[in-house]
Amino acid sequence: MRRWAADVPFWSAVPFVIVVAALAALPLSLRISPYERNLVTVAFLMISGALAWNWMGGYLGQVSFGHAAMFGLGGFVAARLMLHENPAPAPIAWLLGGIAAGVFSLGAHPMLRLRGPYFSIATIGVGEASRLLFTYWEEFTGGASGVSLPIDIGMKARLYWWALGLAALVVTASFVIRRSTLGLQLLAIKADVDAAADVGVNATFYQDLVMVLSGAVVGITGGLWASFFSFIEPADMFGFDRSIGFVLMSVIGGVGTVLGPVLGAVVFVLLRQFLLASYPQLYLGLYGILLILIILFEPLGLTGLGLRLARAVRRRRRAPGVVAAP
Amino acid sequence: MTKPPLLATRAVSKHFGGLKAVDEVDLELAQGEILGVIGPNGAGKTTLFSLIAGSIQPTSGEVLMRGHEVSGRPAYRLVRAGVVRTHQLVRPFPNLTVAENVTVGAIHGAWRDEASPRARAAEVLEFVGLAERANELPGTLTLAGRKRLELARALAIVPLVLMLDEVIAGVNPVEAMKLAALIRRIRDERGVSIVMIEHVMPAVMSLSDRIAVLDHGKKIAEGKPAEVAANPLVVEAYLGKGAAEEGATPA
Amino acid sequence: MDRFVDLAVSAVLLAGLYATMAYGLGLIYGVLRVVNLAHGGVIMAGAYLGWILHGWAGLDPYLSIPLVVGATFLLGMAMYRVLVRHLPRGPAGGPASLLLLFGVWLVLRNVAYLLFTGNDQVIRTSYSTHALPLLGSFVSVNRLAVLAIAVVTPALLHLVLRRTYLGRAIRAVAQNADSCTLVGIDVERIYTLTFGIGTALAGLAGLLSATIFSFNPGFGSGELLKSFVVVVLGGLGSVFGTGVAALILAIVEVFAILVMPSYLTAAVGFVMLVLVLVLRPGGLFGQRVLG
Repeated sequence: MRRWAADVPFWSAVPFVIVVAALAALPLSLRISPYERNLVTVAFLMISGALAWNWMGGYLGQVSFGHAAMFGLGGFVAARLMLHENPAPAPIAWLLGGIAAGVFSLGAHPMLRLRGPYFSIATIGVGEASRLLFTYWEEFTGGASGVSLPIDIGMKARLYWWALGLAALVVTASFVIRRSTLGLQLLAIKADVDAAADVGVNATFYQDLVMVLSGAVVGITGGLWASFFSFIEPADMFGFDRSIGFVLMSVIGGVGTVLGPVLGAVVFVLLRQFLLASYPQLYLGLYGILLILIILFEPLGLTGLGLRLARAVRRRRRAPGVVAAP
Repeated sequence: MTKPPLLATRAVSKHFGGLKAVDEVDLELAQGEILGVIGPNGAGKTTLFSLIAGSIQPTSGEVLMRGHEVSGRPAYRLVRAGVVRTHQLVRPFPNLTVAENVTVGAIHGAWRDEASPRARAAEVLEFVGLAERANELPGTLTLAGRKRLELARALAIVPLVLMLDEVIAGVNPVEAMKLAALIRRIRDERGVSIVMIEHVMPAVMSLSDRIAVLDHGKKIAEGKPAEVAANPLVVEAYLGKGAAEEGATPA
Repeated sequence: MDRFVDLAVSAVLLAGLYATMAYGLGLIYGVLRVVNLAHGGVIMAGAYLGWILHGWAGLDPYLSIPLVVGATFLLGMAMYRVLVRHLPRGPAGGPASLLLLFGVWLVLRNVAYLLFTGNDQVIRTSYSTHALPLLGSFVSVNRLAVLAIAVVTPALLHLVLRRTYLGRAIRAVAQNADSCTLVGIDVERIYTLTFGIGTALAGLAGLLSATIFSFNPGFGSGELLKSFVVVVLGGLGSVFGTGVAALILAIVEVFAILVMPSYLTAAVGFVMLVLVLVLRPGGLFGQRVLG
């Protein structure tokens, strides 16, 4: 498991800045169609969500099947604030949605003493209960008919940069956490809560902290999502499929890494778009097969596959014509 | 008024249902002392450690640090107060390298001096003799190596009191001698006071300034190693009734 | 008062079904320490198997029990042999096995979509609408039959675990797999069989459910979570505990209708799941030993 501990070295900040700048300039070129721009915007949002999920699932080892609760709450709080008679400016609404989601996730504090599968199963319960309760609460979520926001073409275009900014911020945060002593302590908690306490790590505090941060970021993502689609309904925003989406993106890309959820989100969004267009009846099963293959053969997902390829290439370059010793 | 001892327990007890695992035990540890805790299996030694280190709450009695009550505090807070323990079964973080394992410990000791966690971790690894293995995973170490790692992780916190639960047991005789020497150096060179549970009698007899003997949760004897070894109650606890009359010594 | 009796009777009828599902999940966890997230998928598969046999071969759902149980038993053994066997167990392997079996569930769901579309189905028999007067209320014959089977099955299984060599071997493996290897028990074989038995119970529960409720490829997720509640409440592999827990869950669910809109009653199970997990710090399935 050691190999991913430093999968992104510090100098990668340079290419990272270049990539972000290039992506920011992309819609200014005439080559990109609105359809493509929208697709990339969705990918940015999913990158943020997947990375935030990964703080819990990857760094802390608490696999959540209930993150849709925070996504939905953030989305609906933001939507309601924007629909208020004194509408909040969108960024403020998103932020407040995120804060609401963060506070909400703090409610899961008693669940944190559960670990491994126990925690995961409890999150299924929380996620599904939230879906039912919020769907029932029609004044807030509009029930089965959902909530519509005024359509704003300009905002939809601008959201490209907002989403890019959020994704860049979350990537940076993921990287900083991973490299800091905070990240080290999270990994220690993941490995052995009691042993972590024996070296002075306040496991309860850090688990709460990460859960709130993760929930808040997913909530902000939900708010941007609401603005982007101008229409949200609880069955989708709080749906189990959304929670699964966060899990799948991280696991497909490489759980616990920084690069993994980014790759996973991009693949997830593209695959979804392609499959829904061409083979809508196959899309769940394909994710299932992908999940099975990854767990069985490459627990680090695409990142692990990439590292494996890189090692193979390096080995061949170093010793041309020589059979590698075991 | 005399200065209160570094660490003390006052009539501390832990009952599990009807079982008195630890029964009104008084202990004192002075600055710079090595206190050995011995006793037959099931005497309550590890439970006593857990009571002091905060992982379990005493049923009654109290644990004092420099005269202040600390009983029942969560483990991580006792660690930050300077009471650090190791476990009989070593538990390194398997997903972190040897150096990272020690760095995790150094994070919360950092308030005591200026060195960065990583720098302190490097220094401690040098001290226990694991510097060359710094970038390996703990799984590649021998048992003795993992015990050294456990010591390093504890030392990185810069403890006032180190509580060692059978650090020496289980390794081969050569390694056992090296570990005993290391424990002595921890006290001599770093000024750390030590409480140690140990089954390896030669080691505990030679290392300890004082020894406390537990049996069935009670402290049945306390004193210098030679006195304790000659105490008939102790001999009886280890070898059963009748053994004391034959003049056997615990070994 | 009539309403009360009606509700009590339907709670008891429901409890049998819950117990059957939960027993399978608990058995697999108790022996292998693997949480079978594909359990819901197998429940769904059992329902569709019964539906095919009834619709295409005209086989009565009760006569198709051996076929459905046999098929899901084989499915379970295959799942263990091909997939689960390759994973690390215990706390370290927890998330991995969870995700793997979740993948299996997604595949099962997708296969069902491909074969049967997403439409709701139900198994209708000539006696579906027959009812008997009981305690001043009318009880569907079919539901009584389901309850009878749901009571007999775990009881039989309990006997198997207590009295037969295989049962003793399963219980021994649940307690300490390493020592079992030493005394010559083929632990892998026991694991395979246990996974098969646990899965077959899910298949049976699915078939029985299909005679009462409508189902589609998404069927089984609620059932999975209810099984969790029962296992957590009732302890591991204890037939009595499972039965009592199933009854508690069914009563709470059924009587929730009196105090909240029917739409929300499904949430009761989820809330119970979280509460039970959090309030039982010993962990999901407690420490009780199988038997």
